[in-house]
Amino acid sequence: MTRDSATDDADRLTRRHYVAGAGTLATVGIAGCSGGGDGGDGSDGGDGSDGSDGSDGGDGSDGGSSELEIIHWWTAGGEQDAYQALLDGFREEHPDVEIVDNPAPGGAGSAIDTVVQNRVIDGNPPSTFQIWPGQALTPYTDEDLLEDIGDSVWDEEMRDAYLGDVVDLARPAGNLVAVPINIHRLNNLFYNVSVLDDAGVDPTDIDGPEGLLGVFETLDAETDVTPMAHQTQSPWSSLQLWESIFIGEQGVDAFQTLIGGDVSGLEDEVRSALQLLADYLQYIPEDAGSISWDQGNNDVISGDAAFLHQGDWAAGQYRSAEDFEFESDWDMVPFPGTSGVYQSVIDSFVFPTGNPSPEATEQFLNYAGSVDAQERFNPVKGSIPPRTDVPMDEFGDFLSRQFEDFQNSNTQPPAIAHGTAVAPAIQSSLQEVFANFNGSQDVDAAYDGIVNSF
Amino acid sequence: MSAADRLQTTIAGLDRSRVALYAVLLALVAFYLAPLESGFMTAFKTPDGFRTTTPFALPPLGEFTLSAWGTAFDRLSNGLLNSALMAVPATVLSALFGSLAAYGLTNLSWRGQIGVLVLFVAGVFIPYQAVLVPLTQFWSFVDLGGRIPLALVADNEGLINLSITHVAYGIPICTVLFRSYYATIDDEMLEAARLDGASAATIYRRIILPLSVPIFAVTLIYQFTQIWNDLLFAIVLVSNPSNQVVTVALNQLQGSFVQQFNLQMAGAFVAALPTLVVYVLFGEQFAKGVAGDS
Amino acid sequence: MASRIFAALTRDEGSSDTDESPRREEPSVRTDGGTVTDGASDATTAAVGDDASALGRLRRSRFLESLPFWGPPALLVFFFVYGAIAWNFVISLTGWEGLGSPDYSSLSTEMYARLLSDPSFTAAFRNTLVLLLAFTVLSLILGLLVAILVDQKIRIENTFRTIYLLPMSLSFVVTAIFWSWMYNPTNGLINEALRGVGLDAFTQAWLADPQFKLAAIIFALMWQFSGYCMVVYLAGLRAIPESQYEAARIDGASTIKLYWRVIIPQLRASTMSAAVVLVVFALKAFDFLFVLFGVNPGQSADILSVMMYRVAFDRIQWAYGSAVAMVLFAMTLGVIGPYLYVQYRRGEL
Repeated sequence: MTRDSATDDADRLTRRHYVAGAGTLATVGIAGCSGGGDGGDGSDGGDGSDGSDGSDGGDGSDGGSSELEIIHWWTAGGEQDAYQALLDGFREEHPDVEIVDNPAPGGAGSAIDTVVQNRVIDGNPPSTFQIWPGQALTPYTDEDLLEDIGDSVWDEEMRDAYLGDVVDLARPAGNLVAVPINIHRLNNLFYNVSVLDDAGVDPTDIDGPEGLLGVFETLDAETDVTPMAHQTQSPWSSLQLWESIFIGEQGVDAFQTLIGGDVSGLEDEVRSALQLLADYLQYIPEDAGSISWDQGNNDVISGDAAFLHQGDWAAGQYRSAEDFEFESDWDMVPFPGTSGVYQSVIDSFVFPTGNPSPEATEQFLNYAGSVDAQERFNPVKGSIPPRTDVPMDEFGDFLSRQFEDFQNSNTQPPAIAHGTAVAPAIQSSLQEVFANFNGSQDVDAAYDGIVNSF
Repeated sequence: MSAADRLQTTIAGLDRSRVALYAVLLALVAFYLAPLESGFMTAFKTPDGFRTTTPFALPPLGEFTLSAWGTAFDRLSNGLLNSALMAVPATVLSALFGSLAAYGLTNLSWRGQIGVLVLFVAGVFIPYQAVLVPLTQFWSFVDLGGRIPLALVADNEGLINLSITHVAYGIPICTVLFRSYYATIDDEMLEAARLDGASAATIYRRIILPLSVPIFAVTLIYQFTQIWNDLLFAIVLVSNPSNQVVTVALNQLQGSFVQQFNLQMAGAFVAALPTLVVYVLFGEQFAKGVAGDS
Repeated sequence: MASRIFAALTRDEGSSDTDESPRREEPSVRTDGGTVTDGASDATTAAVGDDASALGRLRRSRFLESLPFWGPPALLVFFFVYGAIAWNFVISLTGWEGLGSPDYSSLSTEMYARLLSDPSFTAAFRNTLVLLLAFTVLSLILGLLVAILVDQKIRIENTFRTIYLLPMSLSFVVTAIFWSWMYNPTNGLINEALRGVGLDAFTQAWLADPQFKLAAIIFALMWQFSGYCMVVYLAGLRAIPESQYEAARIDGASTIKLYWRVIIPQLRASTMSAAVVLVVFALKAFDFLFVLFGVNPGQSADILSVMMYRVAFDRIQWAYGSAVAMVLFAMTLGVIGPYLYVQYRRGEL
């Protein structure tokens, strides 16, 4: 919806979001005050939301608030637009629910974890919050901090509409506790078409991760572009690249064994992927240690870099770039060796126990699992819906192709770098390993670190 | 310092050595101000401007913009307000407690007070990490917002917790600052007042407090900058985004838009503005405060 | 009981340890009338209330008199600082992790054993020591040099001093943001300056290259706190009587010799107090690293305070984080313990 209004100039785009972000912050401040006021004087019965639940007006002390507080990290770019589109749709269905929007920026998880954990520990959770499904949920499910929504939200119709693997990620401990809302693909290799044309490289004909290294060598020797845009300031980009290399070399079964914790049984395989990653890192920008991934991606757009390994959220940047069209200017192949694989990065919403607004939360989760929500949210977010019955008309060429790939894929493994594959403590430990590896490229130390992480 | 002055006269080529001295002093000025100066210039540049010019250069024509300042102020204004709400009471209270404690442990001397004093002085140096986990447990257990049915408390629970925590951890340094000052107060004067029948409280109120104005200034300034500047307690103790203080907001400003150096720099100045103003106005007192805990 | 209170009341300025027993805290200034009445058999304490005779006041224990002043702040400090540290120690003996509550029923030193076999800890411990030593020594040297220069009876001394001290008034968050820009490999001032004077070969990715990370951090921290050392040393220099400069001059000592042989040895107290404060700042350098690197500075720059935060708040392994914190606390004690002792011996506490 708001795509059209997005300016083409990347800088202006970002600036617009600052302003929007500031506006949101201010709103939060105001809403936060009035919100607490309502809760404090126990007058929430007054709004009489819809009366379907008798517990609402009765006890002013808990439950009945029609204020829905959402904590999320979609604070910038297309993510923020997508989130707003989702809220717009929800407001249309539930105009009586007031949304208290609590963005916790800082990107992929870091800030939001502390915020949400503190509040959950304090017994003061938000109505719902954004979280990766799968293993990322386990600290919460271990302590029964998430409500079982198997009956209230996951009705028969919804279970049938979702893919089986995705439903499984929503029940890491048996009970359904989360509603996945989108699926990003992680094992993508984006490239600048004309750069590769000039260099005479055919990206569809790269023989596995090792073959990609050969392409990098060629590009490095014969052109003056950076073979691969990449950032090493935060460890996650290298971690996810290592995952793709590992799957590309060893296949998904070995990867499943790995995330099951059997690292030493795969010593050679793990080392091989690490070594190849170290080799790749010879072909990244010199300033990789001080840039963000999207800054690196600008080099792909400008033709200063050839490839980018990244989740398909990177495509959003291409769409907002001027004169940079899908297929003619940029394109994507599955990371070499992973063509039948759709490694998934998924976001979901949950129902924390001790919920300040059970009714509104349930309404929101029901909505998030609906066709309408996923049709509004995903085209803007640049992801595909986890429901299989969402019309794909609005999704554009690239996402439609991704969706096709998804349906034709043999397997949809979870991702370490994005929470679904391993418990948060292991993920954090692996982040540390790759933070070190980014600097030292020490395969032995990294292997030991990976073993110790599990 | 006529000694140092006379020393100068012994050095041959006095003028040349003075010139060299001032040259070195000015070079040091450049060293200490360079990060601020280049940050300041960058804050006025467009992204193209800061990518294509030297950091310390003035923004070229056409690459000058105030938008980074506007954005930074918008993004940080809520944090500025919260920081002020949190830091001002915490500063005043910790200074007051410090003054009382210093009076009780200095001017009313009693054998054995050294033991209490050691614990106060050691408290100055405790790394916050050593108390972080219990603190989160403690404040979660206290649950002010849940216990006190007032919207004002519930909405600002994070700020109140943070403020009280800063008071407690500020008391040791405040006590040390006040103590070094109170130790210079003439005991005979206090003794005379005592003989006149003044109680300890009267002496504090009538004699000590009026004498304390300068050291209060020093302590308030020092303590305000310390509390305002803290990040660690704030990220751990404040979980409600609407209670976020400015250091946390500033950190997120750079976390979410890594490459917007103009915005980061403008944000850094906006967040530092209160401490900079305090410093420029009261630099001398700040220096005293800094040297005071030595 | 009355006689014990009486004994305490009449004891000169509370010379006994028993003054600190809790029951002594009960009678405050306001209740002295009552206690004095208890001991009314003593003729010298006949006076009661606010109009008590000077003699009666003199006999009152200064301990009781002072308690209302230092008691409440002391309670806060003991609870929040020492109580919390004790609590932290107990937590470090549990196996607490995750979002539940700690289980205090089974305590063990397992977390400390785990520290010893954790390569992250070894690296963080080593870096913390390097940071402490290098940062402290370099800041002291720079601070001393600047102080000596400022002490040469210069014009607008206050202005110079104010500028040199300015960075210290800034938050670590602010200075970290400035320095991340200074160290930016493509546009940062450091590399631009190196290129400007033809030293292109020396340009580095300062904050990304593990070889330079820690040094870059130390340099930035030195920038921020050497001004503090300057202020402390300046006070020390000003306290040295000018006759000493004279004497040295008459002996024909050179300026360098004068400072090296005569002046600097007398600055030991300044050095010590500045060093202690620097060490504390170094231990608290968390904010600076956290802003630059988040929770993962990498093993080349990781320090204990960052590791503690990472383990406790990112991995929610509370007990392990508490154990790291206890090591950090022990390091602090190792530095300030001797300092406090020396100060105590000198009667300068």
